Amino acid sequence: MSRYVIPLFCLFLLVMQGMAMSLLPAKLVYSDLLITPHWILIFLFIIAIFYDKDHTYHAVWYGLVFGLLIDVVYTGVLGVYMITYTLIIYVVHGLKKLVHANFPAAFLLAVIGLILADALLYIVYSFVQITSISWVDYGLLRLLPTLAANMIFFTLLYPLVKERAYDWSEEISNV
Amino acid sequence: MPSLFRRKRLMIVLLGFIVLVTLIGFSIRDRDSLSTPEKFLQDSVGWMQTIFHKPVSFVDTTVENVQDMFNVYEQNQVLKTRLSEYKGVIQENQRLNKEVDELQDTLGKSEGLSDYSSIQATVIARSSDRWFEQMTINKGEEDGVEKDMAVMTSDGLVGKVKSAGAFHSTVLLLSGFDRSNKISSWVVREDKEEAFGLIEGYDDESGRLLLEGIKLDEELEPGDTVISSGLGGVFPSNLRIGTVEEVVNDQYGLTKTAYVEPFADLFDINHVMVVDRSVETIDTSSEAEGDES
Repeated sequence: MSRYVIPLFCLFLLVMQGMAMSLLPAKLVYSDLLITPHWILIFLFIIAIFYDKDHTYHAVWYGLVFGLLIDVVYTGVLGVYMITYTLIIYVVHGLKKLVHANFPAAFLLAVIGLILADALLYIVYSFVQITSISWVDYGLLRLLPTLAANMIFFTLLYPLVKERAYDWSEEISNV
Repeated sequence: MPSLFRRKRLMIVLLGFIVLVTLIGFSIRDRDSLSTPEKFLQDSVGWMQTIFHKPVSFVDTTVENVQDMFNVYEQNQVLKTRLSEYKGVIQENQRLNKEVDELQDTLGKSEGLSDYSSIQATVIARSSDRWFEQMTINKGEEDGVEKDMAVMTSDGLVGKVKSAGAFHSTVLLLSGFDRSNKISSWVVREDKEEAFGLIEGYDDESGRLLLEGIKLDEELEPGDTVISSGLGGVFPSNLRIGTVEEVVNDQYGLTKTAYVEPFADLFDINHVMVVDRSVETIDTSSEAEGDES
């Protein structure tokens, strides 16, 4: 069942990500702070930590596919989200061997992954001159608010998904 | 075999880098239209957004309606006082329209730059990355939307069509405009001729448009209205853009630059009109300048 539920939920998050920007109150979403939702990335972190075994890389492949979808639907510059998400989920997948799979550790991994991912996006986008803000402005206006907003989402999503991801993982390894 | 494993990983990283550079290079150049797979993906995600958009926006508008009901009385009072003014304006407008028609008849010229037909559309999503000032609307090539058409709300211009899919299109907002998306415009002043200028970008810090290339001897007042001139080749004329807020000399002191506050709220947009100019548009892609509109 997990084979269908995970991609469907990713697709749902992809759709909601864009609708949240047009439907949430404008004062919240369009202040000077450049809050950017990375909901798919957060969800795939949890999948990478609790669903994937050491030798399976489902989350990485989902990162590739849904990163490309974000590129096509929301930015129009192909490849940036795709490569960033794939790489960062791979890194998180590698790091999870070093820690126990519990909430503080997962939270820490998600924070590290988010900072790396968003910084990588900033680096690539500033190379192709889509953005031209300085490092300091980037850190204060985009990185910190984005981190805060997405970690709130992580805290909400974690109890909903964690147990299920673990069960699915057992399910497919027993078959 | 650790060395082989490491080599494989290195290969993947290199390959990923090559793919990244190729894809960025492919997609960032000025394309006339999207590739078929992109259109397909955009439309499929667009359909899903439309499905989810219905119930969510229903709740959203219900809340807004309830809030509005509390203000109805005050608004009514203000509107009643305005109504009498409008009656006079309507009569004058009718008279002027008739006069323009007659004059055009005598000239044998039926289509002006200001004639356009509009396509109504609903905003279904916005780019989740704030560095991309774009949104998705639920009308596409099948409804007559084409690349570079102007997009307006009832308040004024909000942007232009960046790319059109079959049933959905992407709109680039004014706040994402740069030197490759110029708007040829006029500043309308009282008792004086219109001053010409080009909207050449957006100042992120103050949230205002930059109207550049105004002649030094033109005197602009804060509060003057900026409209599109229709001379750029794609937009019709007389689209309302914004009001002049501040005028400064440019960095070389040869021309003036005006900061223009857009009429339309670029953040809270729900319904838009895509403007289709009646006069034949000029194919700007062949010009060396890029697409001036």
